[in-house]
Amino acid sequence: MQSLAATSAAGVLLDLSGVLILLLAFACLGSKLFNRYVAYYGAQSVVLAFAAGVAAQAFHSVELWILAVATLAIKGIGIPVAARRLLVQRLDLKRDAALSTGLSTSLIAGGALTAFAYLVTRPQLLPHGVVAAAVVPLSTAVILLGGLAMVVRRHTVAQLIGWLIVENGVFLGAITLVATFPFIVEAGVFLDLVAGVLIMLVFVSGLTRQLASASAAELRELQG
Amino acid sequence: MIVLMVAAAAGPLAGSVAAGCGARARAAGWAGAAGAVISLACSIWLLAAELHRAPVSGWGGYLYLDSLSCFFLFTVAAVTVLAAVGSVAYLAAEEDSGRLSAFQVRLYFIFFGLFAALMLAALETGNLGLLFVLIEASTLASAALVGLEARSSSLEAAWKYVIISSFGVTIALAGTLFLFYSASGLHLAPDLRLTWPYLFGHARALAPESLRLAFLLAVVGYGTKVGLAPMHTWLPDAHAEAPSPASAMLSAALLNTGMYAIMRFLAITRGRLGDGFPRAVLLTFGFLSIVIGVLFMVRRGNFKRLFAYSSVEHMGIIAVALGFGGVLGLYGALLQTLNHAIAKAVLFLTSGDVALRYRTREAAGVTGLLAAAPVTGGALLLGSFAVLGSPPFGLFLSELTIVRAGFASSGAVLPLLLLALLAVAFVAFARTTTGMVTGSAPSAPAAAMVADGSRLARATAGILTGGPPPARATTRDGPDESESGAVLTAPAPHSSPAPVLEAPYRGRWTALAASMPLVVGLVALLVLGLWIPAGLDAVIRHAAAVL
Repeated sequence: MQSLAATSAAGVLLDLSGVLILLLAFACLGSKLFNRYVAYYGAQSVVLAFAAGVAAQAFHSVELWILAVATLAIKGIGIPVAARRLLVQRLDLKRDAALSTGLSTSLIAGGALTAFAYLVTRPQLLPHGVVAAAVVPLSTAVILLGGLAMVVRRHTVAQLIGWLIVENGVFLGAITLVATFPFIVEAGVFLDLVAGVLIMLVFVSGLTRQLASASAAELRELQG
Repeated sequence: MIVLMVAAAAGPLAGSVAAGCGARARAAGWAGAAGAVISLACSIWLLAAELHRAPVSGWGGYLYLDSLSCFFLFTVAAVTVLAAVGSVAYLAAEEDSGRLSAFQVRLYFIFFGLFAALMLAALETGNLGLLFVLIEASTLASAALVGLEARSSSLEAAWKYVIISSFGVTIALAGTLFLFYSASGLHLAPDLRLTWPYLFGHARALAPESLRLAFLLAVVGYGTKVGLAPMHTWLPDAHAEAPSPASAMLSAALLNTGMYAIMRFLAITRGRLGDGFPRAVLLTFGFLSIVIGVLFMVRRGNFKRLFAYSSVEHMGIIAVALGFGGVLGLYGALLQTLNHAIAKAVLFLTSGDVALRYRTREAAGVTGLLAAAPVTGGALLLGSFAVLGSPPFGLFLSELTIVRAGFASSGAVLPLLLLALLAVAFVAFARTTTGMVTGSAPSAPAAAMVADGSRLARATAGILTGGPPPARATTRDGPDESESGAVLTAPAPHSSPAPVLEAPYRGRWTALAASMPLVVGLVALLVLGLWIPAGLDAVIRHAAAVL
């Protein structure tokens, strides 16, 4: 049994979580305050942890339970708290002024990307009637929205959050599409994520100390 | 067998352990070099054993070694040895001159060993998910190396590198996911559905639509690591800002590891979808990379960036060779991988030596290298001709093979285009490096005065030969940089004909560590150009058959 039926209770719950995760990605894209970026990311991770729990219940999988708890603890609580303490508060970040497009433009682009995600992943790729057919386009859309956030935001902290949203999108796809992904691999992905966030925190702090504002727009020394 | 594999991957960690225990640059460096030599010895042993036996597999497919991975293991281990020995000289010189603190030096060796070990481990796994995990981890370890010098430009490069690469590799994870999904029709245990030999063996049973998507995502994702255009933007910055032995590792080992991951996906995709689709994808990305690399090589400037763009070009050539396909194309691609790795390691180590002597990374600020430092100058000259594919060296042979494969498989237009691009690359690259090698060297103090108040400056102040030292800007000194660069390119009228630049290395062993990898690498390239050892030839043939 690979994929849950879309009409089962677990399937409906997963579908719902997918929609919530997409909405939170949109909320992050449509916001201008650093506090909100972090808050929306944290909320998205909590929903993701819930989705992982639902999948774990449906597949009776201990590994997925472990992943759900780890997601809640690290992505839902650990990273947001660390980002708030170490970046937003310590660097006194409030409004993100380093946007390359207006908020409405980026929201419209996000809508277009969501439609694109449905176009790409819907036909032929996935069989009808399984929950993956509904959730994989959602997770693809979340990946694209995270990428969009990294492109339109020039502040390094915002880019970091964008990457984390991309990671969440991949994870959402992973638990619905292939719930039986080998555990060693999942754990490794998790470790990489934590190490990545740590090293990025170091770089962002270092850059901020040197540049006064760690906006990637000011990263202009290296060109060509 | 498995013990050997673990030893091969764990070897470079010796330097990390030594540095972690508080060793200084020389001790940690030699420990790391010794570890790298152990890795190389293990990989040669594995290579020799591989010829006579089936692929080794263990730990439920997480450990897997066939001739393709053996070949890459050998390449990366060889580069690690060159770069580890070069690290001894470079880091000792930087520590002596006070430009890097003891803590930074220790950090360097810790992450250098980790980086090499993670790449070697990535080449030994048969699980595509674990491959992703290890490649992403090696990205993080190398990002620490790029940002090591903690100048704003190096932090910027490190940020760009880590965010672009992490994003790219996450895309590759999505590709791995779809590959896993495409195998859901197979009756295999979940652990085995990401194991390469099983996927390769059952390629015909995979779902074609999601496999197509998986291959595309993998090429884009791992292509970001390889530096295929248009995902190459992090590459010149990271290569220019990292300490030079780390640049050598990035260019000669990391890019190849990414290419190895693409090859694994390619083999499965070819097995299911045939030649047409992967060929179109690889030729597109390959030619785009060659064009971008060549165009940016025309610009004169930072010589490490020049080498980096040459890496983009060469990765493009390898992708094109994979796209041409056939036994000839695959043979050429692998031979090119080995040759390029050695040549680029030599060039980046040379660039470190040049940067230490002249305290600049701008090509315009370097003249008369051959007179000032014959070994380095000679290595730069021969290394450039080697990397550009001049006859006595190995790259001539591999590029010729690739062009022949092109004629055999896809008509005359593409190989002729490749030849034309190679010619442009030759002119653009050689123009800059010959300018650096020839001419008369600036007088000794000029090179030393930049490191303001550094011990090196004080050490060389004794041999001031009189005459006002030209005001030389460091690499990042803003607007007046080009001005002073222009002053420098015109040889000062009163400079002595054979000036002596103070060697930046203290002690005979450190100086030896600086020049040994250059000489060894060039000799290896020459050997590969004239005669491919029978064992190596057989392994490359086996590996090409795997693909």
